[in-house]
Amino acid sequence: MAPTAGAEGDSTARGAVLRASGVEKSFHRGVPPRRRRIGVLKGAGLEVRRGELVGLVGENGSGKSTLMKIVVGLLERDAGAVERHGKLGYCPQTPLLWEKLTIGEHFELFARAYELDPARAESAAADLLEELQFGRYRDYRIEDLSGGTRQKLNLALALMHEPDLLLLDEPYSGFDWETYLRFWEMSERRRSGGMGILIVSHFLSERERLDRIYELRDGRCEES
Amino acid sequence: MSAIAISGADFLREHLRARLTLVLLVAIPALFVVASASVLGEFATALGGSVGGDSASALGAGWAAAFLAGALGFFQVSSSREADRRLALAGMGAVRVAVARISASVVLGVLISAVAFLTLLLSAGVTHPAHTFVAILIFALTYIGIGTLVGSFVSGALEGSLTVAFIFLIDAFSGPGMSDSGGIAGVMPTRKAADVLIDAGAGQGSPLGDWIAVGLITLGALALAAAAFWLSARPRST
Repeated sequence: MAPTAGAEGDSTARGAVLRASGVEKSFHRGVPPRRRRIGVLKGAGLEVRRGELVGLVGENGSGKSTLMKIVVGLLERDAGAVERHGKLGYCPQTPLLWEKLTIGEHFELFARAYELDPARAESAAADLLEELQFGRYRDYRIEDLSGGTRQKLNLALALMHEPDLLLLDEPYSGFDWETYLRFWEMSERRRSGGMGILIVSHFLSERERLDRIYELRDGRCEES
Repeated sequence: MSAIAISGADFLREHLRARLTLVLLVAIPALFVVASASVLGEFATALGGSVGGDSASALGAGWAAAFLAGALGFFQVSSSREADRRLALAGMGAVRVAVARISASVVLGVLISAVAFLTLLLSAGVTHPAHTFVAILIFALTYIGIGTLVGSFVSGALEGSLTVAFIFLIDAFSGPGMSDSGGIAGVMPTRKAADVLIDAGAGQGSPLGDWIAVGLITLGALALAAAAFWLSARPRST
């Protein structure tokens, strides 16, 4: 059941950085005797290759975030296989941050987790603060930030170690129009650099920017 | 600085930057210690116990430390569960996150105990400072274990804090000196710590057996806390 995670380099013939197949997941709801099992994923599978920008769409409640959490390793799956290759960057749907810490402290904390040396950590943080234009809030605590700025930090933390595979769950919710456009430019630049990117969204209006799109329907992914 | 030291310092900062926590850190020991000298004695008499005077004040300091430590232990797990898991997944690993959390908790426990001890020192005086401080710290560390354990099973803030308060109330009012020591009193986690603290308040030494028992209970509580932090931060399928 464990994904082959963290193996550096390209170990697959077609340069896949993520491959999931036959993923099944169900949840139990209610209390006995009215307890019931709700199947969410029924053999879902997808693939993301190096230098590819892939979308995963589906209606609300279709299981997109469940599949994302399984792929990342935040949720157990009932069946199926997940293979990941290279460094992982993950931007969750809801910003997972510490309310009393500042933006700068978050960068420092994640730099340690990613094992970046201080010079590289500072340069990565400065570049992302500039790229997403929220440098003036560096010393602000999270509790004092707007939803959009929290989301910028949420995204920046996933990017600061230049991962091989970037998984983005509804990454632009809360962004203004300018930031939204900047987000797509950033994603395309990183795709050109060889990063494999999977964007999960209930609504993708920028279909022409994507290389492939999977639609999650009835617990399965169909490429459209 | 190592990753554990930086994250431990950040986890500690997270609590100390909450103004209300700082206010309660001073107000709760003051309330428990000052009120306990008279009210705790009356409660104890009503429940069949006999604690009073300096022992009641000392016990009040222990309970203040326990109450604060239990609440902070619970919120250390429940308020940051998802963010901790993200950090672990980013490469910190669940073990290092758990070590950082337990380190921050122990420092918080020492800080809480120091405030409770100082309150006791200023309001009632202390005959055996080292004995008294260690006994108060044992209350705090034991309740860090209880709070984190509750936090690993109960996610809601209201439900979790009520559960910690419920355990605290049963423990406090069934403890030595507070009741006739029958029923569940014998299995409550701070029973031996209360014996040690009452001895300290009364200016007496405690038997070696009591020290060994509280040492083991404290280590068990810290092990429980470490396990709760690890369980909370570990990735689910790697």
